[in-house]
Amino acid sequence: MDRTAIQDMVYQTCLLLDDKNFNAFLDLCDDEFRYSIATHSPEIRKDMIWLDHDKKGMKNLFTQLPRHNSDHSPITRHATVYKVDVSGDGNEASVVSALQVYKTDLDGGSTALFAVGKYLDTVRIEGGKPRLVKRVVKLDTRMLGIGYHIPF
Amino acid sequence: MAKNSAQWQQPPRFPTTHYVDSSIYTDQQIFEEERQKIFNKTWYIACHESEIPNAFDYRTFQHPGGTPLIIVRGEDMKVRAFYNICPHRGNTLLYDPSGNAKRITCIFHAWSFDTQGNCTDISREEQGYQKRFCKADAALREVKSEAGYGGFIWVNVDDNCVPLKTFVGDAMGELDPFIGMPMEVFHYHRAIVDTNFKLWHDTNSEFYHDYMHYFNRVTGMMQPGYFDRKCVGYDNGHVLVGSMEIKYDAYDGSKERGVGWPGLAQGGWILIDLFPGLTYNLRTSVLRMDTMIPLSPNKVMIEYRGLGLKSDTATERAQRIFDHNTIWGPFGRNLHEDLLGVHGQGRAMRPGTDSRWVLQGREENSTIHDEVGMRHYYAEWSRLMGRKSFDPYGDRRVSAAA
Repeated sequence: MDRTAIQDMVYQTCLLLDDKNFNAFLDLCDDEFRYSIATHSPEIRKDMIWLDHDKKGMKNLFTQLPRHNSDHSPITRHATVYKVDVSGDGNEASVVSALQVYKTDLDGGSTALFAVGKYLDTVRIEGGKPRLVKRVVKLDTRMLGIGYHIPF
Repeated sequence: MAKNSAQWQQPPRFPTTHYVDSSIYTDQQIFEEERQKIFNKTWYIACHESEIPNAFDYRTFQHPGGTPLIIVRGEDMKVRAFYNICPHRGNTLLYDPSGNAKRITCIFHAWSFDTQGNCTDISREEQGYQKRFCKADAALREVKSEAGYGGFIWVNVDDNCVPLKTFVGDAMGELDPFIGMPMEVFHYHRAIVDTNFKLWHDTNSEFYHDYMHYFNRVTGMMQPGYFDRKCVGYDNGHVLVGSMEIKYDAYDGSKERGVGWPGLAQGGWILIDLFPGLTYNLRTSVLRMDTMIPLSPNKVMIEYRGLGLKSDTATERAQRIFDHNTIWGPFGRNLHEDLLGVHGQGRAMRPGTDSRWVLQGREENSTIHDEVGMRHYYAEWSRLMGRKSFDPYGDRRVSAAA
């Protein structure tokens, strides 16, 4: 399995989501794709899921976005691939990437760190190309101000 | 025709009960008075009993009046609340949001306390204090606490306060039948927003802003029965917004809720705002609880909890979590819009912007787009503050009525 191709795919997902090119993002995802945002609350001592969708659910979410009133401040996803563990048969890999999300004011006046966490990805190789099968966004940051409609 | 400066300053042509001076959302002195006259006198929810299920479990809580608190379950399983302040040198006793501690020990000089607030150890007590001061002099400051209304832990820092039951009165009558069974918090997050706490409560007490929510427009406003929802005011500033049936499948990608809530009609929705900053929101399959902690005139921290039933199967709980996240999670369809709305108000009303009046003048037979809920809230606010919300400094000449 080509580690560079996997890294490129992770970075490509960031660029596409930053550009709100959701269809192209979903094109990188397997039909069995599952996306979730997870975190842990020390207040209630529980792991929490904040978003959980299959590919159809993500497509629907992206379709509905323009109908909602959203914070239009752009966000920028910065990922660094830390670890790629390839399965024995070479067809699947677990990928851990550090994630930082920056938010820039609408007037461009300032950019602030919005959230940090990790991408925990499962990638499948099909026809020599990596496909995203599962993404868990594990957030360390649990206070997101007014929140955000677009998944990280 | 657009207004000039004098017209902009002119009070609205409504009765004085139907608008407020926007400085009540920005003034530092008024904010300090609110902490003393309102938050330090009223009952407030600190946490839920499911967050401290075992003996010696604790939660820390930033009380809206300003005092940091510890909520702890004792060996006798009774829940008590104390200042999170060491009586020795004023240090913070417990730093973590939750934990389990048989002894509460200050890291500064190792003074130690039990879960009943007794001081159990003063390091090198005799050498330093001889017989002049002892453990009996060093107990923690306890504040009143009670469990109730869905298993929430309520606190009141006023030793002379009325009982919780008196404070709540009849306001919870509509919800009481549905929150008697053991519940459990499955979701908790906080948001700090640059806005005044009252503006969040305003948003929770009127549904005219459903125009902001695509989800609510298609699942609620466009459905039969929406305008039947009635707002009912209760003593002490509390407000009920009655039930209706939500048509979840009207939102593409959503679906009718399968789990439901025992006794509640399919798609039912009951919302109760308790003065001065708590909201119970039972919507079909999830109870949401909002707790506001004002930090400054233009900054509020809001705690959001999502609760299900303690008896939930794994499948039922997963469905409740999904339902909750769809509209109320940090990435949900509605919460972000509500927060964006009050963020915008805070932005427009910060000092120096010449914001002037906030209208609460809609009258629609107390139905869902009537702003009677806010009017009821500000009548109580004015009573407790000794200030008129339409004229907080007593220096405005306003027309009695339009």
